[in-house]
Formats: sequence, C-alpha cells, structure tokens
Amino acid sequence: MRAFEVLNPGVFTTIQDLGRPGYMKYGIPASGIADRFSGQVANLLVGNPPGAALLEVTLFRLELLALNDLVIAVTGGNLSPTVNRDPLPMWQALPIQKGDRVAFRARKKGFRAYLTVQGGFSGQEFLGSRSVFVRGLMGTPLQAGNILEFEDPEGKSIPQGNFPQEMIPSFSILNPLRVILGPQEERFSPKGIETFLTSEYRVSSQSDRMGYRLEGLAIEHLQGADIISEPISRGAIQVPGDGLPIILLWDAQVSGGYVKIANVITADLDRLAQIMPGQSLRFQSATLEEAHLAWRMEILRFERIKRAIEGHG
Amino acid sequence: MSKWPKICPSGDRGILVEFENRIDPEVNRSVRSLALTIESENLPGINEILPAYRTLLVAYDPLKIEYRPLVEKINFWIKKAKTIDLPPGRIFRLPTVYGGAHGPDLKMVAETTHLSQAEVIRVFSETRFMVYFIGFICGLAYLGGLPEILRVPRLATPRTLVPGGSVGLAGGQANAITTDQPSGFNYIGRTFVNLYDPLLFPPVPFLSGDEIQFMPVTEEEALRAQGKQAVDFL
Repeated sequence: MRAFEVLNPGVFTTIQDLGRPGYMKYGIPASGIADRFSGQVANLLVGNPPGAALLEVTLFRLELLALNDLVIAVTGGNLSPTVNRDPLPMWQALPIQKGDRVAFRARKKGFRAYLTVQGGFSGQEFLGSRSVFVRGLMGTPLQAGNILEFEDPEGKSIPQGNFPQEMIPSFSILNPLRVILGPQEERFSPKGIETFLTSEYRVSSQSDRMGYRLEGLAIEHLQGADIISEPISRGAIQVPGDGLPIILLWDAQVSGGYVKIANVITADLDRLAQIMPGQSLRFQSATLEEAHLAWRMEILRFERIKRAIEGHG
Repeated sequence: MSKWPKICPSGDRGILVEFENRIDPEVNRSVRSLALTIESENLPGINEILPAYRTLLVAYDPLKIEYRPLVEKINFWIKKAKTIDLPPGRIFRLPTVYGGAHGPDLKMVAETTHLSQAEVIRVFSETRFMVYFIGFICGLAYLGGLPEILRVPRLATPRTLVPGGSVGLAGGQANAITTDQPSGFNYIGRTFVNLYDPLLFPPVPFLSGDEIQFMPVTEEEALRAQGKQAVDFL
C-alpha cells in the first residue's frame, strides 16, 4: 500500500530498521537505526514491533505527501515537524489523512528524527534487513518523486498508554561520552591519552553514518598509527597519523589498520547519534562494569516505557 | 611463556583475541581454527565473530554472558582449536585483463619494480594469493602472498573512484576491490567476475583460506565473465 510521495527528500533520509548484525565476516557492517531508543519508541507508539522499518530523517527539508489515511509517530531530534504547516506533536501516535503534508522545517534539538507509520514501511530487504546502506549497494537515500509503500496494518489499534513525557531524551551535548580505553591505548603517550580525555573535540562536517571525524588537539602516538588490519567494533575511536580521532559508527567498515584509543560505550551511542557536525563533545573513561551497568539500565528504561505505551504502566 | 594469544575488551560488546603480531599463514591458521571452534560451539550470547589476519573479534551480548566467564571459555577454545583440522581452501582462477584502460598503473608498477610490463603480469598472475580474511567494506578479500619483487608503495594521491573488479597491489598487499570506490592501490588489471552481490547469500564468494589466481586473458574473454559468479571459476 502507498504511504507517501516524497516531495522533497531532505538532506539525507533513509529507511532503517534494526539492521543486519551477523555479517561482519562477509565485510558488511550491521547498519540500522542510529538512535535506537527514539526509533524503537516511535514504532511502539503506533503499535509496531520495535524494529519495524521507519524513516531516519537527518536535519530538515524532508517533505512528504500522504497517499492514504495513516497513523504515524515522530520521535528523536526536534527538527520542527509539521502537518499542513501546523506543528506536529512528537512522541505520540497521530492519525493523518490522505492529502496531508508532513514536513521537517528547522533543527531545534538533536540531529536525527524518526518517522514511522503503523504497519511499518516496506522496501527491499538485503540480508534480512531493510536498512539502507549506500556504500554496500543496499538501497539509496530518498529521492524526490519516490513512492514509499507500507505494510497494511489491517485494523490494528493504537496502543492505549502514553509515552511519559518526562522520559523524552534531552539530547544534551554537555555530558561527556563514556569510553572503554583500548584495544591499543598502549600505543599512545600518557600525554596523548590525557589530551584525548581532557580536551574538547568538534564534529567535522565530513561526518556521516559511517563515522564522525573530530577536530581539535592532535593525540600523540608512541610508535606510529598503523597496525595490521583488524576488526572494528561499533563506536571504536581510531586515531590515524594526523592525531585526529574518528569515531566509527553504524555504516563503518568492519576492519581497519589504524590504532584505536578507545570505544564509546553502547549506552551512549544513541546520544552520539543526535550530535550534529559543528557541535563539540568530550570523552570520559569508564570501566567495563560501568558500561555494562549503563546498558542494563537502558534496557530497563526501554522495558518500562514499552509497558507504559502498551497501557500496562 | 609466549605472551600470545592476548585477550582484551574491544568496547563493551566485543572481545579481541590477538595472536602473534605478523601477517603469516600459520598465525592466520590459528585465527581460523579458533573461529571454526567458536562457531561450532554456538554459545548463546555470542552474536558474531570476525576473524582477521592475526586477530579475532568476538561480539557478545553482555546481558546474556559476562565478560570474565566468556574470556575463560575463549581460553579453553584456544586450546581446543589446536586439535582441529581446517577444511582445505578452494582455488578460484579469475579471468583478468591486464594493462591498458583496465590497468592504469601497470606501466608505473613496471617502472618502479624495474621489470617489463609482461614480467609484472607473469609474476602477478602466477601467484596463488591466499585469502586471509574478508573485511573492510562490501566483502573485500585481504590477500597475502604477493612476491617481494612486486613491492610498490601506495599512490601518493588516492584515486577518488576505482571501478569494482580492479585488481591491484600496494605495500606488499594485493586486492581486487568488489565495488566502485576510492583507493590508493596501484591497479594493473580488472576482472569482471561478480565479487559482491548484496542480494545473494553469502554476498561474497570467498572464504578465508581460499586461494585466488588472476589469470591473464584478452579483454574480450574477460568481458565474457561479466555477471558470472566466482564459483564458476573454481
């Protein structure tokens, strides 16, 4: 069934779901929704499974024309979404009608918004996922004139509960991103590690779903930046010869030959997804135990919200 | 006692197992044996693994298995892996057109190595390259076995776009890139065999331990392989 016609594709809009983990050994990154909390909540609000395919909207200018009566939800960064020029209330299910226009007009907070439709978007599956991964020839960003299809929700009802408004993420860029040092922290001088953990880094304009290039003080190596190519985990921070860190993210290569000073913890990746080029960030060292505890708290928070939305709160 | 293998965290969902710090078929065999052992164990909580040249990443779910018990298991598997036999690799012989528009750097490689272009093609195409692992992006095979005589540096300025199937070398390594992309390698030829297909499973024809030979053919013959799968050239 037809959901939308793309009037303006915006800066960079892709279909994403929870990605395709499991194909690293074929040289394929998992991809998927960058801010997984916001994306999954959007799906829950309209009664979809949390991993249904949705639109990841980057910045603004996306404009869609509804080709059917739909139930949608918009979450994530506040990019001033509107319906027919009126503000579109975020973080709730919203029925719209055939002929309505949904647009994203200006960034207020965050960097990526999520728009889902009850039933979930259709789209070509690659290795079991609809996540667009441009460099892997798995789909393309939206283009003007595209018709977006969705799966028939077949009389599905809207969940009765509400998303607790106080749980909307603040997308603050003030808190440092927590990292686990390594695996090659011994390849940096103590001064280099200190530079990394105490200075502020600006996200370069050359940043995308593959990785964030950072600008700031160069990090001092001890014996060069090269290693024999090895696997890369999501959130790994490699430091090439120029000393400027690169955080490798959702669509990054799965292996590489630069030393890695640290790795952003999983619980902080959603927040990172909402930091935009030009903004600054800091790093803070965490232990493995702290990282795992933070992740457990994230899962508990999500379960609580799921119950609230489903009306069992 | 040797300090290898070494085990350390790689972020909060990964464990990196490191074997001796060199690119070597024997070291790589240890990596592959461990990969096979872990895969056959099928332990809940291990999401996936990526074996590389001398390292292996175990991606795990910390809510299902904790770090320390998993490290203990990995230590046990390292011992167990020493006793298993690896399946033999296959040999792919891919038709490759060398030089001209398909190998823009052949002339420069010949000059750098003080060989004739025909000699470069002969030495390169007689080499049976071993696939150490599949990684980078879109199923790139990391190849080993390039003869020392063909050692050339990377391009000073990487090309912004090299067509998929291009066969090249740099810094003691060789590769055949699977899709159009930027690269600093010296490309001396091109194969038109399909090396990556996101709609197929598996999307990449090679496995670590396989061997690849880039057989010199005419342009006409190379083009006849267009759209064919690599398994047609075993």
